[in-house]
Amino acid sequence: MKMKEWKSKISKKGKVTNNDKQEVDTSQDSTDQFTDNFILNLELVREEIGHNWDVHFREFNIGRTGIRSIVIFVDGLSDKDLIDKHIMPSLMVNFSAEYKHDLPYIKGSISTEFIKNEVLSISEVEKVGSIKELASKVLTGSTALLIDGSLDALILGTTKLKTRTIEEPVSEALVRGPRVGFTESLSDNTSFLRGSGENENLSLVKFQVGKHSKKDLVVAYIKDIVDPELVQEVENRIKKIDIDNVPESGYVEQLIEDNYLSPFPQVQNTERPDRVIAALMEGRVAILLDGTPFALIVPVTLSMMLQSPEDYYERWIPGTFIRLLRYLAAVLALFTPSLYIAFISFHSGLIPTKLAISIIGNRSGVPFPALIEALFMEISIEILREAGLRLPKPIGPAMGIVGGLIIGEAAVQAGIVSPVLVIVVALTAISSFAIPQYSTGFTLRILRYPAMFCAATFGLYGVIVFFLFMTSHLVKLKSFGVPYLSPVVPYRLSEWKDLMVRMPLMMMKRRPKMMHTKNPIRKG
Amino acid sequence: MILSPKDQITTPQAAVIVINFILGSGLLTLPRSATEKVHTPDVWISVILGGILTMIAGVIMVKLSQKFPQKTFYQYCNEIIGKWVGGLLSLFIICYFLLTSGFQLRSMAEVISYLLLEGTPTWAITMIFMWVGLYLIIGGINPIARLFEIILPLTVIFFLVVVFMSIKIFEIDNLRPVLGEGVIPVLKGVKTTALAFTGPEIMLLLIPFMNHPQKAVKALLVGVSIPLIFYVITVVMVIGALSVEGVVTRTWPTLDLIRSFEVSGLIFERFESLLLVVWIMQIFSSFTISYYAAALGLAQLSKKSIHPFMFGLLPILYIIAMIPKNINDQFKIGDFIGNVALWLFGLLPLLLLIISRIKGGKYETIT
Amino acid sequence: MKQSHNNIKPLFVTLSVILILSLTGCWSSHEIEEQNLGIGVAFDKGKEPFIEKELNEQGEGYLKKDLFTSTYQIITPQVASSTTKQAGPQQKSYVNVSETGDSVLQMARELSLRRQPLTSHHMKVIVISEKLAKSYDLEQLFDQDLRDNDFRPSCLVLITKGRASNSLETKTAGEIPAFRLLGIAENTYRTTRILPPMPLIKLEAKLKSGSSFLLQNVVSVNGEVKFAGASVIKGKTHKMTGFLNEDELEGVTWITGKGKGGVLKSFDKETGQLILYEIESMKSRIKPRVKGNNISFDVTIESEGRLSETWVVPGDTFKNEFLKKAEKSSEKEVKRLVRNVLEKMQKEYQVDVAGFGNQLRIKNPKVWKKVKKNWDQTFSETPINYHVKLTINDYGTSGSSKK
Repeated sequence: MKMKEWKSKISKKGKVTNNDKQEVDTSQDSTDQFTDNFILNLELVREEIGHNWDVHFREFNIGRTGIRSIVIFVDGLSDKDLIDKHIMPSLMVNFSAEYKHDLPYIKGSISTEFIKNEVLSISEVEKVGSIKELASKVLTGSTALLIDGSLDALILGTTKLKTRTIEEPVSEALVRGPRVGFTESLSDNTSFLRGSGENENLSLVKFQVGKHSKKDLVVAYIKDIVDPELVQEVENRIKKIDIDNVPESGYVEQLIEDNYLSPFPQVQNTERPDRVIAALMEGRVAILLDGTPFALIVPVTLSMMLQSPEDYYERWIPGTFIRLLRYLAAVLALFTPSLYIAFISFHSGLIPTKLAISIIGNRSGVPFPALIEALFMEISIEILREAGLRLPKPIGPAMGIVGGLIIGEAAVQAGIVSPVLVIVVALTAISSFAIPQYSTGFTLRILRYPAMFCAATFGLYGVIVFFLFMTSHLVKLKSFGVPYLSPVVPYRLSEWKDLMVRMPLMMMKRRPKMMHTKNPIRKG
Repeated sequence: MILSPKDQITTPQAAVIVINFILGSGLLTLPRSATEKVHTPDVWISVILGGILTMIAGVIMVKLSQKFPQKTFYQYCNEIIGKWVGGLLSLFIICYFLLTSGFQLRSMAEVISYLLLEGTPTWAITMIFMWVGLYLIIGGINPIARLFEIILPLTVIFFLVVVFMSIKIFEIDNLRPVLGEGVIPVLKGVKTTALAFTGPEIMLLLIPFMNHPQKAVKALLVGVSIPLIFYVITVVMVIGALSVEGVVTRTWPTLDLIRSFEVSGLIFERFESLLLVVWIMQIFSSFTISYYAAALGLAQLSKKSIHPFMFGLLPILYIIAMIPKNINDQFKIGDFIGNVALWLFGLLPLLLLIISRIKGGKYETIT
Repeated sequence: MKQSHNNIKPLFVTLSVILILSLTGCWSSHEIEEQNLGIGVAFDKGKEPFIEKELNEQGEGYLKKDLFTSTYQIITPQVASSTTKQAGPQQKSYVNVSETGDSVLQMARELSLRRQPLTSHHMKVIVISEKLAKSYDLEQLFDQDLRDNDFRPSCLVLITKGRASNSLETKTAGEIPAFRLLGIAENTYRTTRILPPMPLIKLEAKLKSGSSFLLQNVVSVNGEVKFAGASVIKGKTHKMTGFLNEDELEGVTWITGKGKGGVLKSFDKETGQLILYEIESMKSRIKPRVKGNNISFDVTIESEGRLSETWVVPGDTFKNEFLKKAEKSSEKEVKRLVRNVLEKMQKEYQVDVAGFGNQLRIKNPKVWKKVKKNWDQTFSETPINYHVKLTINDYGTSGSSKK
């Protein structure tokens, strides 16, 4: 089947059309297979991939036998160390040393079987029968070995992508915790998971996504904890992904999530292996994609978005305190500007008198109504933040300070905004950065704007209606079958131990019920 | 059945729905309407009695519904008293729910435009409220229950905080003497207070959705006791601070209670904003659940899907909300609804229970 | 399972309709800096202030009877900005504006013809002049304030002897008179000579119940104010019928037992020197006694405190006898105060402002029902017995004085 597809593709590209006679077909057939003729084989391979500048052909003779062979590899993808120190020597120098006595008897050819079984002392060796296969393997980093006189070639596993060193993930730095982050290499990442100690039950199932440039994707779960229906659902959704290229896990996230219209992320992403492992232990499923350090975790609930692994590494009192702080920050980030607008523009009677007087004093002279003022500052801060991300490292932080302080000061001096508003906006901005999950912080930042508009039109009532609307939406949202607002609702008191407070580890005995795990008790 | 199997609610959720339905506009007006009838500071006793009465009525309703698991009232009343009478009865109940919904809507609009947004036209206030309600109920009973579960703790916390701050102006003397004029005034007030507890009738519809219908009685009892505690605290604090005479002259006595003190230094000196937040959320919950009940009824009567009814009822509700011409009319309609509730849900379920018992053992009971 | 999107379209349609309509305006939005915050108001008998006369001469007046003058104390944006930006201590921190007319609300609205509109959300005090209180039913005067949704029920009510608008003036820079009045009202824990603050809501309750009560009196001279004494408001007419001075007010506080602190001055019998008793706590129990048709009251007053100042020489506070002497002397003083005020209440004004009726209502509700109608009259003839018991707990850090 595959060959026919390739054939038709090639024919469509105009090299040889289908109408051409069978001899062309047969010649294609035959060109795909290795022939007896070493030179011809070489020609065919060169035709296939020789035009790439990074494909190298190294011809040599095996040992002292005079039998020609060639090693084909891609510089940069293959482990040249392996080639130079193990493959070539075992075929050249060591070969002649080993088989000194048999040398006169080896004439003509050596079978690849022999080479594979006796000579090559490297871990991955397999045979290929067609040029196409050889080409694709070489182009992914393996080394091809063609020997004069044999009908098939050997593929030696020498793939070694240049990866960066393991360093702490930039987007999720912790004060206390392993300073390890995923890298772009899928095998490295899965090795992290294996290395966590969970061995027999950790299942890593591979899929390929992307119709055109196929990428490897691994679904990870712990067999005896996870709910099999969940795994099935995840796998189904992955199989349904129909797109030509998947450059980053974000694409996968967007293609498998439940509700693409919702501003709330329903899939969690992380660079930290410890987070993934913790999630797996709760019965969740992780998805790793080759080429990106961001792994996905499903299903996800709102409370997970506001948690950080650090909560668990510290003791329960600091953990609880920080968590409560974070919840407060989330509420502030979302509602402060809208409450400001509501109270200033609509309900001056609801704020303390002294505060009202000082606000009046500050705001007299400001030409804009509260909404415009707030929008102005908020949008400026967003633009500043975005700009700060793109600037080169030395300028970035300075820009933040410059922007924040000086522009805020200048705006107050110019009488465009009031000092109270600057405080409000600063508080909001800082609060939104206290959220550990970047995408959730973003969501809150975005939702701030509709809240402000509601406040500007209907005052406090508008804010309340907005809150009801947002909560109604959250209440209907599900991530892979798990309600987004678990474990707050439905009431399950036993799960509240990990919600806004972090109860001592001694007391957290069960896995979350919402995951319908098979193995509900954590402790023995 | 139109009920999808996944639309299940847990027992606590059922209780929460009942609680949120009962707590509604009554919070603000109960002190006055009850004290008007009783005229002594013993109103709180009337409240307790009213609550107990409601519990009894509620238990009857639950027992009746438990005879027909998997079926809502609309579906099983046909089996008790025949198709036509049953259909008529269901229609009455649907109208009751519609009226309640519209009434809640109007109360909310009145209070909001009076206290928060004076210049805003009523239609604007009403329409966004209705829209969010519609958005919620389209999801079915489950999101409704979950939202209620979120609203309830917020309500409890804010309410308790606010009410207990008013201890500053609380005078115990205003509540004495207890039973100074005998029990009769207390009894006079029971009718009014019982009406403040309308809400448990929703159990007639909830039982088929519950995943443990046998626990429905417990859910109901909890569902009525918590509003009972709320109302008693409210009445006690309001009368304690304002005294009997003061209460009967204020239109919204609970609100005035909150407005009459200022705790300087704390973030909000004025706490009425908190109370209003709570109250709006409660009205929203009462509004949505009765809206859903009406839509469900129509859908089950006509054996069609519920969604077109949800959309269709939207303009009808708006019209109902606009009917009362002034605030006194509004209160009269409130009383009217209360009386209707008394007949429909006080006496009828008892009748139906008796009839079904007589009709006898064809139906299995769940105990 | 992905969520169904069949219902999204109609939802969005209705949403867009509502949103577009809402864009037509934020109807109730009034920026805070465009408003004048009213923080205090004073009602006087009608006398048109100079400015108004001029304005009326130049422009057209309107149909009104000059019944009373309202003086509103407001914080304007200019004033607020000067206070916050510390523009200079000479600037006044408030502005007083007066209007004359016959309808409270109309006068307030008249202000919008002269300045920015007034908001009453932050009203802290209402001061009424005696003259008004004597001639008009308080219930009528306060009707608007009670009905208005803006006026907070926590607003305090005070009465003055002279012109009420004077109490809203001050010569101290940076001070706001309304706040000053509010501050003084909270000093019940320091002295027994003022009443517990009377917010608007309690005023209404008292007015509606028909019982007589007291309103705190304020005296103002030259920009200074003092809380001195109280006015007696008769329950039946809702008008002011009498006045209690500071001493008498102190007596009332002792009877009701609502004092939280303060001092009691008495003179030692033998030496005639001053002894000062500082109150730490006080309690009083009023017990009605009903025998047939006869009603009488027993008042028991108890208090604990300390000896704070003594001019008696020799006086050894380390000895219990001296303390007993001081106690006796103070008790006598309390009795004197109580007797004085009771006489005034019963004989001169014939009102019950110390809560006797209330106690009767609580303890003997049936009897109360019968006498409720004419209680003030009945009260003026009921005998009242009182007992006082003071305990001195300590005497500070200084003790004996040598003989």
